[in-house]
Amino acid sequence: MIPTLLVYGLVNSVILALYALGFSLTYGISGLANFAHGALYILSGFAAWNLIHHMGIPLLPAALLSVALTGMLGFVFYWVLLLRIRGIALAELVVTFSAGVAILEILTWQGFYGIRYSLPVFLRGGIEVGGVAVDYQRLLVLGTGVVLVILLWLFVHHTRIGLAFRAMAQNERTALSVGIESDWVGSLSLAMGAALAAVAALVVLPLGVMESTIGYEVLIYALAVAIVGGLESTVGMILGSFLIGFGQVAAARFIGAKWMVIVPLAAIVVVLAVRPSGILGRFKELEERV
Amino acid sequence: MSKASETILAVERVRKRFGGILAVFDVSFELKAGEFLGIIGPNGSGKTTLVNLITGFVKPDGGRVFFKGRDITSFMPYRIADMGIARTFQMVRLFYNLPAYKNIIIPLCSSRVRRLGAGRYGEKDDMAVDLLDDMGFERDSYVPYKTAGSLPHGYLKRLDLARAMALRPEVLILDELFSGMSLSEVASTLPLIEKFHEEGLSIIMIEHRLKELFRVVDRVLVLNFGRKIADGSPQEVMENEEVRKAYLGIEVEIL
Repeated sequence: MIPTLLVYGLVNSVILALYALGFSLTYGISGLANFAHGALYILSGFAAWNLIHHMGIPLLPAALLSVALTGMLGFVFYWVLLLRIRGIALAELVVTFSAGVAILEILTWQGFYGIRYSLPVFLRGGIEVGGVAVDYQRLLVLGTGVVLVILLWLFVHHTRIGLAFRAMAQNERTALSVGIESDWVGSLSLAMGAALAAVAALVVLPLGVMESTIGYEVLIYALAVAIVGGLESTVGMILGSFLIGFGQVAAARFIGAKWMVIVPLAAIVVVLAVRPSGILGRFKELEERV
Repeated sequence: MSKASETILAVERVRKRFGGILAVFDVSFELKAGEFLGIIGPNGSGKTTLVNLITGFVKPDGGRVFFKGRDITSFMPYRIADMGIARTFQMVRLFYNLPAYKNIIIPLCSSRVRRLGAGRYGEKDDMAVDLLDDMGFERDSYVPYKTAGSLPHGYLKRLDLARAMALRPEVLILDELFSGMSLSEVASTLPLIEKFHEEGLSIIMIEHRLKELFRVVDRVLVLNFGRKIADGSPQEVMENEEVRKAYLGIEVEIL
């Protein structure tokens, strides 16, 4: 029983981290909370499905194409919808949330729900880990999570654009005064966040059936992880994923499966009431301004 | 000396109102290439707003700013920086979570510096440490590698100067660089700025330490309540009756 909890808790936690990764990245760099994140997640799944079933493209190229398209959509999204309202947090929230709802409702209207919409797994079969049967797709989810976190760390710490990202995250005005184009960095951060949503979708969605409402769930999970861990902390994000991830699996095992849904929502309420900045978050900006 | 007659920066009747306060009203001036201009004025006279108007951080309600004959009035700050106008901030703004030298690598990676020809990303560490060494961050000490946020104020001011200089600017605007610096820090930084000037850099320096300022600048512009009340050589400005009135006796200290 314990090994089962550990393995499935781990898989569940990494799935949550994958949901949150792109959302946190965009927010961490440009302070932009992309409430269309969940919609972009499920949209990329349906994009891949269409590429496979209507255009006959094999799985792997279809997946890569879907990631690229979703990233581009995030980029265009910034220049078309967000450029004029940048910096007005409430307007950003309204615009990204509305865009997300629009995407999800169009998907529903077009009939994208039901058992026939599911993505194929990359690898069939499975193995046994410590007496627990795990399929290869879930192992792929684990691997993707670890690889993405390492790649992102390398990217942010060892490339020119990564340095510009960090500069922007720390002080937008100073970044501007050394010639960093804030809108360019902002749109790149949104594009990367969207592409990360797509990567998460393409490894996680094959575990189940696709439907547009998953977009709302993913947004709630991403928010829960970000709020619990602290909005500006990467370590906090991983910690938040593991707390909620294991909390969910434990709740399902000891209380009942329906409690899985309650865990992230309860976590949001408890954290906001007890420690609004999150476990590892700091309201640096506020301290500086006061 | 023929170069000295060329105008590099021209400000024409710029105007900015914040609510009911006229922060800057119809201020015009020209900066010649290679010139060292001081801007002084009592607190709240609009000096920092004028810098913000030139560098694009604040959009003027009226008037124009020209850099090398090109109208840059509506340009974003990063574009103005990219064209070659670098500034320091009165309230130092740095990347506090990064080591001091990384603060310099960021401008060294800008498209401006790459255009002017600079080493690859990996070689920039040395360039950054060289630049900091010039600013008094001893190369062989741990200081250049410390997190910017943990450095004392005087170092932060010089780090801010190094950050601006890393852009290889044509015009350098210093907004109260010396405020909060110790006398010995001022004494070691001033010769650096004079050296930049001798090497042909055009400099605008806003300063409350008038004694130091008057010693190094070619020309002084005086603001009071957002208006230009004097513009001339340090000698002319000191003798100006309106300036004396605005400063109410502080001129004794200058002389």
